[in-house]
Amino acid sequence: MLEIAGVEGGYGSVQILNGVSMRVARGQMVALLGGNGTGKSTLLKTISGLIKPWKGSITFDGQRIDGLRPDLIVRRGLVQVTQGKEAYPGLTVEENLRLGAHVRRDRAGVRRTLERVFEYFPILGDRRNQFSATLSGGQLQMLCIGRGMMSEPKMMLLDEPSAALAPQVVLDIFRIIGRICREGTTLLLVEQNVRMALLLAEYGYVIRDGVVHIEGPAEKLIGDDNVRLSYLGGTVADRDGGKNLRH
Amino acid sequence: MQYFMDLVVVGFSIGMVYALVALGISFIYSGLDIVHFAHGEIYMLGAFIGVALFKHTGLSYPMLLIASMVLTGLLGVAIERLFYRRLTRAGGGYTFAGMGMIICGFGMSIVLQNVAYLIWGAKPLPFPVSFGMPLEIGELTLPRSYIWIVGAALILMAALHLFLKKTRLGLAARAVAHNKEIAYLMGINVPMMISVLFGIGCALAAAAGVLVGPINYVQVLMGIGILIKAFAAAVIGGFGNLPGAVLGGLLVGVTESLGAGYLSGSYKDIYAFILLIFVLMVRPSGILGVSIKSKA
Ligand SMILES: Nc1ncnc2c1ncn2[C@@H]1O[C@H](COP(=O)(O)OP(=O)(O)OP(=O)(O)O)[C@@H](O)[C@H]1O
Ligand SMILES: [Mg+2]
Repeated sequence: MLEIAGVEGGYGSVQILNGVSMRVARGQMVALLGGNGTGKSTLLKTISGLIKPWKGSITFDGQRIDGLRPDLIVRRGLVQVTQGKEAYPGLTVEENLRLGAHVRRDRAGVRRTLERVFEYFPILGDRRNQFSATLSGGQLQMLCIGRGMMSEPKMMLLDEPSAALAPQVVLDIFRIIGRICREGTTLLLVEQNVRMALLLAEYGYVIRDGVVHIEGPAEKLIGDDNVRLSYLGGTVADRDGGKNLRH
Repeated sequence: MQYFMDLVVVGFSIGMVYALVALGISFIYSGLDIVHFAHGEIYMLGAFIGVALFKHTGLSYPMLLIASMVLTGLLGVAIERLFYRRLTRAGGGYTFAGMGMIICGFGMSIVLQNVAYLIWGAKPLPFPVSFGMPLEIGELTLPRSYIWIVGAALILMAALHLFLKKTRLGLAARAVAHNKEIAYLMGINVPMMISVLFGIGCALAAAAGVLVGPINYVQVLMGIGILIKAFAAAVIGGFGNLPGAVLGGLLVGVTESLGAGYLSGSYKDIYAFILLIFVLMVRPSGILGVSIKSKA
């Protein structure tokens, strides 16, 4: 579905990505891990077209998308949910969601997707006419994910959806993410919550200094000493603790 | 009392003209983050295009108004695409365009004045639309041209409001105004939306020009005075705040008219600024507040 080959890029003349290669198969959930400032968000922005890659290729659904304008990439069915819960505070919850469906012209279909989002996140339905500025952090994150769903994308890029949220909300969010993937959307999930991400995802990449440092099936990464030492606090991952997430 | 009411009516009508220009300036600022210093000249060109259409076509006044808005809007889009947008490449889109953009705006205003001079000459042109007899309401005598100004301006403001609040494109416009990066990720064609926003801002100024034409002459330098007053209006209402621009325009118009009528006509142009200073002393961000937006 998504294939990245030797991508280099950055901001201005500052190079951040030093040749990243990775692939995400259709219907899969892949975790993208790594410490702060290693270039995860930069990679997502490069995929979604907000910054242009300097080198390498990005292929989505069989077609090159590198260098394409971001709105055209969205039209092809690839949507990014940014880090930092960036909703439009001056717009209502429903207006924010409708923005997510900007590329669609089928009113009835948009209404159905809206109902689907409200079914995923009932709290958004209760608050549909409130300004998004009045939402809590968790609700904002739900709004941003819901907004990403509104165009019914083939694939979503999620940038740290669990950051700065209360533990119970984190569980809710991960449960929803699992469901979105099961219902057919391919996902690339950037996470600091490494254990959770690897429990949900099938495959993982660890990025460091702008290159893929470690990659492998999720079960393998959880057991990997390097990953454990660097990102899991050095203890053996408690895999059963998160088992219930899988369904 | 009769005199007072007459002054208010005149002030309110002229205030609507200021309001339209201020609305355009605030709209462009809220959408593109640029303070457009050539907006007075867009207003002037709108008026000239209106006169030219009046002379050479048989269009009715409302059609004239709409045609001039469309043509001037397209002209604005061309100016933005050809000149302003190049400048944004220097610094991350429209956000940090800063000083270069302001200078470019001033330059553009001089260029447009000279273009108008070459085409239409220095002599003020009449815009002799006949609206018929004034309307008598009790004691009050209302020239129809004033009714046209107020009516057309209110319709345009309502149309803008409905566009922004009720349509898919209007929602996208608000998104682009607030944060262009996220707007891109919503699948919005941001460069196109920027053109639309700029074009609408210019069309509003053109409407003001066509509306004011019949009660004034149309001339090359008419944009200078209005720019300053529209700016005062926009700042009084809260820069970038759309209802604020309308409120500011009306306040400036009425203050000016009352000041000229009761104090002295020869100082007519300073009343707007006395009002501006007073408002800024009490409320530095303008009456309705500066529009707050996130980065990008
Ligand atoms: N707009 C920008 N301009 C210049 N440099 C930037 C910009 N955004 C990020 N950087 C730099 O690029 C590097 C990678 O940042 P990036 O946001 O991609 O990291 P990240 O892996 O997403 O980190 P985090 O986990 O903290 O979100 C950092 O050194 C950062 O300082
Ligand atoms: Mg990041």
